[in-house]
Amino acid sequence: MTTSALMSLGTRAMFANYAALQTTGHNIANASTDGYSRQEVQLQSAGGQFTGAGFFGKGVDVKNVARAFDQFLSREALTTRSQAAYDSARVDKLAQLESAFTGGEQGIGYAAGDLLNAMVDLSSHPQDLAARQVVLSRASDLGARFSAAATRLDAIQTGVTQELRAAVTHINEIAQNVAAVNDRIALAKGSGQTPNDLLDLRDRLVSELGGYMEVTTIAADDGTLSVFVAGGQRLVLGAQSMRLELSPDTFDASRMTLGIVEASGVRKLPHGLIGSGSIGGLLRFQDDDLAQARMLLGQMAASIAGSVNAQQSLGLNLGVPPGPGAALFGVGAAQALPANTNARTAGGAFVSNVTLAVTDPTQLQATEYSLVNDGTGNWRLTRLADGLAQTVVDGSIVDGFRINLGPPAPLATDRFLLQPVTRAANSMVSTLDDPRGIAAASPVTAALGGNNTGTATVAALTVVNTAIDPDQTATITFTSASGNYDWELRDRSTSALISSGSASWSVGQPIALNGFELQVTGVPQSGDVITVSKTLYPGSNNGNALALAALRDAMLVGRVSDGAGGLTGGQTLTDAWANAMADIGVRSQGAKTASAISTQVAASAKEALSGRTGVNLDEEAARLMQYQQGYQAAAKVLQVAQSLFDTLLDAANA
Amino acid sequence: MMRVSTATSFDTGVSTLQARQRELVDAQQQLTSGKRIARLSDDPGAAARAERALASEARADADRRALEASRTAIVQVEAAFGDAGELLQQARELLVGAGNPSYGASERRAIGERLAGIRDQLMKIANRGDGAGGYLFGGQGIGEPPFIDAAGGVQYGATGGVQQAASSELLPLTTDGQRAFLVARTGNGVFVTGATTSNGTAWIDAGRVTQPNQITGSPYSVSFTVTGASTTYTVMQGASATPLTNVAYQSGQAIQIDGMSFTITGQPADGDRFDVMPSTPDLSVFDVLDGLGAALANGSATGAQVTQAVADGLRDLDSSAATLNGRRAEAGSWLNRFDDVELRISGQKLRAQEERSSAEDLDMLHAISDFQLRQSGYDAALRAYSMVQRLSLFQYLGP
Repeated sequence: MTTSALMSLGTRAMFANYAALQTTGHNIANASTDGYSRQEVQLQSAGGQFTGAGFFGKGVDVKNVARAFDQFLSREALTTRSQAAYDSARVDKLAQLESAFTGGEQGIGYAAGDLLNAMVDLSSHPQDLAARQVVLSRASDLGARFSAAATRLDAIQTGVTQELRAAVTHINEIAQNVAAVNDRIALAKGSGQTPNDLLDLRDRLVSELGGYMEVTTIAADDGTLSVFVAGGQRLVLGAQSMRLELSPDTFDASRMTLGIVEASGVRKLPHGLIGSGSIGGLLRFQDDDLAQARMLLGQMAASIAGSVNAQQSLGLNLGVPPGPGAALFGVGAAQALPANTNARTAGGAFVSNVTLAVTDPTQLQATEYSLVNDGTGNWRLTRLADGLAQTVVDGSIVDGFRINLGPPAPLATDRFLLQPVTRAANSMVSTLDDPRGIAAASPVTAALGGNNTGTATVAALTVVNTAIDPDQTATITFTSASGNYDWELRDRSTSALISSGSASWSVGQPIALNGFELQVTGVPQSGDVITVSKTLYPGSNNGNALALAALRDAMLVGRVSDGAGGLTGGQTLTDAWANAMADIGVRSQGAKTASAISTQVAASAKEALSGRTGVNLDEEAARLMQYQQGYQAAAKVLQVAQSLFDTLLDAANA
Repeated sequence: MMRVSTATSFDTGVSTLQARQRELVDAQQQLTSGKRIARLSDDPGAAARAERALASEARADADRRALEASRTAIVQVEAAFGDAGELLQQARELLVGAGNPSYGASERRAIGERLAGIRDQLMKIANRGDGAGGYLFGGQGIGEPPFIDAAGGVQYGATGGVQQAASSELLPLTTDGQRAFLVARTGNGVFVTGATTSNGTAWIDAGRVTQPNQITGSPYSVSFTVTGASTTYTVMQGASATPLTNVAYQSGQAIQIDGMSFTITGQPADGDRFDVMPSTPDLSVFDVLDGLGAALANGSATGAQVTQAVADGLRDLDSSAATLNGRRAEAGSWLNRFDDVELRISGQKLRAQEERSSAEDLDMLHAISDFQLRQSGYDAALRAYSMVQRLSLFQYLGP
């Protein structure tokens, strides 16, 4: 045993404590570094030297520097972060969407009510040009609000696209970085020690990736980490990374889809598989929330515009001579979007052509439809809102629109996405600017006979068909008090009989003749007469203005066929708008709650992880003192060894 | 034992403070705006309710405007009926004067001219505009004055009936001029007496109904045969004979048949004939005045003809006036109904306002206490943060 043994033991102890101090300093320095894991010097006894008197300890060795790590907690933090990013991306966008569905006096519902309420003033003063001008400005206001809301939705879609693009760029960079770090880690691993700071860096990169997309990771023996997305697509494998790409949807170029670039081309990733992360949230918003908002808005625009235009066309305007009213609104057309994979001519144009025509705007539903060939030559139409499928042929009428298959007829390989209402609000505009063009007058007028003895009066006379011939005068003569009546249609100028017949009227049922429907209230007596004849002075008649005002209570939006030739359901304008508002509001509210929860969960998971791996300064301060004292003690050992050595030298000199 | 990472504890502290601050700002915003709902997602159900209530309010406003249009029109109609009634009263007084047997042809002509003046004024009232381009008596619409002087009498150019305002309740915007001025019942309302051939001095009164259940509705004629001093009359029901055949005539004695009673006064000439026809609802007040004017202007009229004309005229004027008054009463009852309708509309609007307020307005008491609670919460959080985060072991380590 030599004094040099003590010397070397002291030196080792000093080195070990110094190393520990250095690591503590590193921890203190990185206390606020994101993703930094606390490091710790692992010491081990250097063992003993065997002598006859037993083992004498040789001091301490620095084994390695380990980082605090917890596989389970870090996976937990990663998945919860993905979910929180998903919810928060969606909630931000939904908050923007809400602004397009405002209620109150700035809202679309109020403007629609305003337009129809202006019809009330028009019917009070049908000949007053000021009242007509008010109707026109209300119509133009309504059109502007619809198209502004649709433009707002477009702007939101643009924002979504930009965010997706930025996210994809980041993902591609991160994937490259992960691959590069993998490479360096594999190299370092070869030297036998773990590169703690590189591992931290990679964990941070993967965590960042998880903010964008849901990822799964698998560690390999060589220290590399493989990253998979969208249900098993590899994004990083060892030192190799793949690229994601954003491309327009097969049908609707305004929507974006995510794809992965492979040697054979871009493979589209099904949106359902992307899962959480901000990209998942944005795609869900785009495909579900924004699409629904568009369809709700479009459905209302198409219903209002269609109903008002139809009623306009049934009345007479102030023109000379008076004619049927022109359309008050123009809306975006119903469209059938071909898949970009459909057959094309040499010039690049699509071979086939499918078109849609709205037949009853009140039956349009807030949904889109897919049209594909089932392989046996039949065309299968699927309503995407509820998956209801049916076979259609050329000219089939479904939910208020007619499908024209061609010409040229579609090929069996062609696919289409039908959007009857999606784009309706986009180009909604009021198309009438002459106040005289408003059709306030009804082409026919009903009058009670002067000698009527019953209490029957005309509750309403509505024109239901543009084919009405006002020059045919209808005379309805009741033949009993129970509602039996004879009717005849005569030419107005020659009084020649055109047709006649007998029928029975019951309360609540209209008497329909010559394109009009007459609602009678009260009890007619035998011999009572009601004539329906041409309106002689359309300038002062308000029949059609009354019908326009009555649209306030009509079921204009979303009526459905009851299967027996009639229509059922439907909502008034006010209700439809209130429900659209509530739909968007509930989505936003639900997303807000989900986001609050998932943010909280992510924060807890992060806290748990950082509790395990983060730096506590008080702890480091204590360690600092501990290792400082250890260092001082080791120095003392060295000093003692030195003085021992000096003692020995002095003894030798003496 | 759970370690606490220093960086995380700072982060958590800061984000908790931010959340508290956010809550405080939200509460402040609610207090400032007085609304519980700043965004749709705050309460979608209440937002939709408020939207429906707002539409209901706007609807009530529109109904009120329709009501005002209707009220304005009917007030004018009522006034027009009042004016017309006064004119008819003047005409009646003049006509009573014309029956004065001491009046000569020139006096009667003067009265006839004054009646013509009244008729012109009445025509102006009937064609009165509503001040907004329409006509009070325009029925279901006309672009020009509805009453037209045409050959054969005044005609109504508009379609009968009334124009309705667009409202939840039926409200008239015009009045049927035909029903007001042109369709009074002729005669006494059940039958019309008249001299068909009158060469003597006899005249027939308007008659009255004595037994309503015996009225047949057939035309009757009374023919006189005068042979020397004996004057007899025969009443025919259409072409059939009645029990009153060759009855001795006595001036001023009522002739009664089938529930009707009428009196012929004066001495009829042989072959004189009086007809009793069923009443029809087609008496035009303008025709009455026109006819009176013509009859009074006829200088060669006999006393009996004048008396007959005055009696017929009074009867017809009264019938026309009764019709006008009936229409005026109808207008008056509309004016009363407007008040009820207005109450209902106000009630509807009030309910809508309350509904909207309950859906979106803030309960101030609750909001203020909530705000104060959050304020003290934020204050406490700030204090706790500053105290806890100040603690560090390094402060206790000597230099």
